[in-house]
Amino acid sequence: MHGGVLGHNIATLDGSPASSPTITIRQLLRFGALYAVPFLALDANVVLALLIASLVGVYLKFAPDCRAPWDHLAGTRVISGFPSNAKLELADVHTAADLRLDTKRLGDERRARRLLLGVGLFSVLASGLIVWVIFREAAEFVLADEFSWSVLTGIGWFPRRGIFDLSTLFIGTLWITGIAMTVAGPVGLGVAIYLSEYASPRVRRYLKPLVETLASIPSVVIGLFAISFISPKVLQPIFGDLGIFSLLAAGLGVGVLTVPIVASISEDAMRAVPQELREASYGLGSRKVTTALRVVFPAALSGISAAFIVGISRAIGETMVVFIAAGGSGGAIFETDPTQPGQAITAAMASLGAGTDSVAGSGIAFQSLYFLGALLFVITLVMNVVSDRIVGRFRQVY
Amino acid sequence: MTMTDRPAETDETGKTGAAPVTADAPRSMAFQHHADTNPERPAGPNVFTVRGLDVFYGDFRAVAGVDLDIAEREITAFIGPSGCGKSTVLRCFNRMNDLIDIARVEGSVLYRDIDLYDPQVDPVAVRRRIGMVFQKPNPFPKSIYDNVAFGPRVAGLKGNLDDLVEQSLRDAGLWDEVKDRLTSSALGMSGGQQQRLCIARAIAVNPDVLLMDEPCSALDPIATGRIEELMKEIKDEYTIVIVTHNMQQAARVSDRTAFFTAEVDEDTGQRRGKLVEFSETGKIFSTPSDERTEAYVTGRFG
Amino acid sequence: MALPPIPAPVSADLRRRRGADLKGQLFQALLWLSLGIAVAMVGAVLWSVSADGWSLISERLWSFLRNPSSATPDNAGVVQGIRGSFILAGIVAATFPLGIGAAVYLEELADDGRLTRLIRVTVRNLAGVPSIVYGLLGLAVFVKSLGGLTGGSSIISAGLTLGVLVFPVVVITASEAIRAVPQSIRDASYGLGATQWETICHQVIPAALPGILTGIVLSISRALGEAAPLLVIGAAPFYSTGFNDFFEQLQGAFTALPMNVASFARLPADTWAGHAAAASLVLLVVIFAINLVAMVIRSRITKKLGR
Repeated sequence: MHGGVLGHNIATLDGSPASSPTITIRQLLRFGALYAVPFLALDANVVLALLIASLVGVYLKFAPDCRAPWDHLAGTRVISGFPSNAKLELADVHTAADLRLDTKRLGDERRARRLLLGVGLFSVLASGLIVWVIFREAAEFVLADEFSWSVLTGIGWFPRRGIFDLSTLFIGTLWITGIAMTVAGPVGLGVAIYLSEYASPRVRRYLKPLVETLASIPSVVIGLFAISFISPKVLQPIFGDLGIFSLLAAGLGVGVLTVPIVASISEDAMRAVPQELREASYGLGSRKVTTALRVVFPAALSGISAAFIVGISRAIGETMVVFIAAGGSGGAIFETDPTQPGQAITAAMASLGAGTDSVAGSGIAFQSLYFLGALLFVITLVMNVVSDRIVGRFRQVY
Repeated sequence: MTMTDRPAETDETGKTGAAPVTADAPRSMAFQHHADTNPERPAGPNVFTVRGLDVFYGDFRAVAGVDLDIAEREITAFIGPSGCGKSTVLRCFNRMNDLIDIARVEGSVLYRDIDLYDPQVDPVAVRRRIGMVFQKPNPFPKSIYDNVAFGPRVAGLKGNLDDLVEQSLRDAGLWDEVKDRLTSSALGMSGGQQQRLCIARAIAVNPDVLLMDEPCSALDPIATGRIEELMKEIKDEYTIVIVTHNMQQAARVSDRTAFFTAEVDEDTGQRRGKLVEFSETGKIFSTPSDERTEAYVTGRFG
Repeated sequence: MALPPIPAPVSADLRRRRGADLKGQLFQALLWLSLGIAVAMVGAVLWSVSADGWSLISERLWSFLRNPSSATPDNAGVVQGIRGSFILAGIVAATFPLGIGAAVYLEELADDGRLTRLIRVTVRNLAGVPSIVYGLLGLAVFVKSLGGLTGGSSIISAGLTLGVLVFPVVVITASEAIRAVPQSIRDASYGLGATQWETICHQVIPAALPGILTGIVLSISRALGEAAPLLVIGAAPFYSTGFNDFFEQLQGAFTALPMNVASFARLPADTWAGHAAAASLVLLVVIFAINLVAMVIRSRITKKLGR
């Protein structure tokens, strides 16, 4: 195993007995409490200033010591003699002082370790900030004077008029996600099964980059694609009275976006199934389709489920395709027909944030942005946690 | 356990001049005290003195009660069936077991009468003097030159290393084969060449001791033969300790041999490594003292 | 009850039967269909964007690339977007050491304690957060709270937001690359008397460089294509005019290529034919060029590593 967290661990090579370089949870909580007080005082500026100052201070303190690793070696190795006789001469080891621990190097290593721990903690900081910032503003939305729980239902989503019917947005998001997964699920899975079970290495070499190309196309381009191709050339021939903007068009666009995600995660899951299982199946006289469907697919089920959940999570969180193609604007009426324009959670947030419905700034209309953000964050977080759990629980032990 | 005095006259390999090892070599004492009483080179030519070595992985005792002396400028072989702690003991000599955080060493390991596990001792400095060659050749994914030059560079040697690299490659018997392609990748060589490169890399820092953990087990017989030749050539400069699965290899190259076996612990049912017998190679293979040794070397088990 | 014994085969029994594997052939046809759909999707996107933008590009490519936004369709260009994207890429690149440092910490230096697990879980969750939520974070932290430092709704805020957005991607890909370096390399390095830091700097990271590079390219591609956070942070929609050179963009209104695409797309299609598609082409070409350069660099590094 690698020298990382699992398996063998790089123990303190400095040989020093006690001090562990990592911070305990308790210390972290104490540290957090220090910052929580100003947080509670509702002035994030002070807190952030403190954080920045401490980060800068930490950096300034450590940075001068993070020199090139060669530099501080001079003088601590006992060397004499040089390439003239082409041999590195070692002074004889008389006492253990010749093998003495280099405390300076130890100190440097310890400080550098702490610096990198701080960098690693940045992710925790970012998560904490997201949660704190979004939920605080969302709380302000809920606690505002104009708010009452009844505004969450109504004829539609009209933030300017103080009507925040969540079900309008949910229906839109559900339609889009549903349409997207109806397309991306089978197509992505089919591509994955083909690439992992049926394709020759040569075909794989050309096909896999193609699928990955789809993954690297920015979502704005797909949004444009939805209104310039999907709507006029695919949908309107089928549904005559369809406008350019509709939930259907947006859903198909998001589907195109999601195919590579489902495909690549599923394919990884299936390729991870050991070859021995397939060989056992073939050895019993079964055909490829049976092996693929009855042996490989169930074995990879946890990974494939994870692929679907990640795909759904992505579809729920997709903004630009919906913003461009679904035709929602600042206000949207409650609509269940996917052939009509509609609004989803993400596009509503984009409209609010971009101020296209001229509510940029403050006020309860604007704060609904954060309320939606909190909802979205919770939904996607739950999905991610669920997908992690599924992968863990159903992992077939080989 | 068993320990023999080296006879004053030549042993079977024709080596002379080795001073006798006494069983009562001074044990490790407190740091400062030792510096006072022993300012000169240690008396006996023992490179390693091991007493009562136990190695634990967590609570599991993997190796129990090893007593050994490794003499200078000799090849000492550790033989025995797999899983009996030979590599574990070897890795104690250069503190490589530190890399496994559940590993714990008890007992004493003296390197030239210095306690290797003294908290004041720097494992990095130890590994500069006690080099290691591993079972599977593991050249760095760099050029041949950079592979050999890495050790001297971390040791602080700056400037032109061309002579040093050439000398090390010559000593490892690899120079003629690679002198035209020093800047090409080390991974492009055959297994035997890679292993010789690893040896060149290890001797480039001019260590005191060379530890070899089954260096030939991944190689074909011809490459193995070349490495055994190499070992005999460099024996005059380095003390070598080799772990090997191949009894005949031990018989071919080593001066002294230690035979390990694995016992099953009655309480836990786990296998634990034990040193059974340690003496001159000739004696181990012809007239071993212990019946387990005899059973192994005559092929009755293992 | 035992299965009846299979009678000794006649050669006819072992011969491949036609039409027998109906299920298998049907299934394979379905797979081909899904593959065809996927390929058709890629083709359709690329074709549609190219076809729609072609007339504009063929007429006035250079003026499109060099003109700023304008009210008249014939004069409008995306130079502000190009410059903005360039600056954003630079700011995001400046945040890569953070991600790589975190990966080095997690893979080489961390123990298996609760804090380490917390960091790993957090990174994984952050990777799945929608980009618009990062936009909200940027709005609240970089624009509002740190407004004094970043200039409020400025390109610096946008760049920092994108940096936070790609941070988990960098950490995860760099971690995988570092993990893929075999332990034997580290053992060999320690065995020669190198310290942990020397091993990390001179053996592990150079050996992991191809994978780290892939992660970097992935991140820049992602950051260049994101429009949602920019919307929320306040990138100027298309109809704000003014010749923004680099310095003006650093301080005041800013924009980027994805914003150009989104803005063009919302303009009436009859007068603004092809602008959105042309801007998309520019964006795609930029992303493709970066990927290509990275592929070349990566293959050269891999060759140097001897793999």
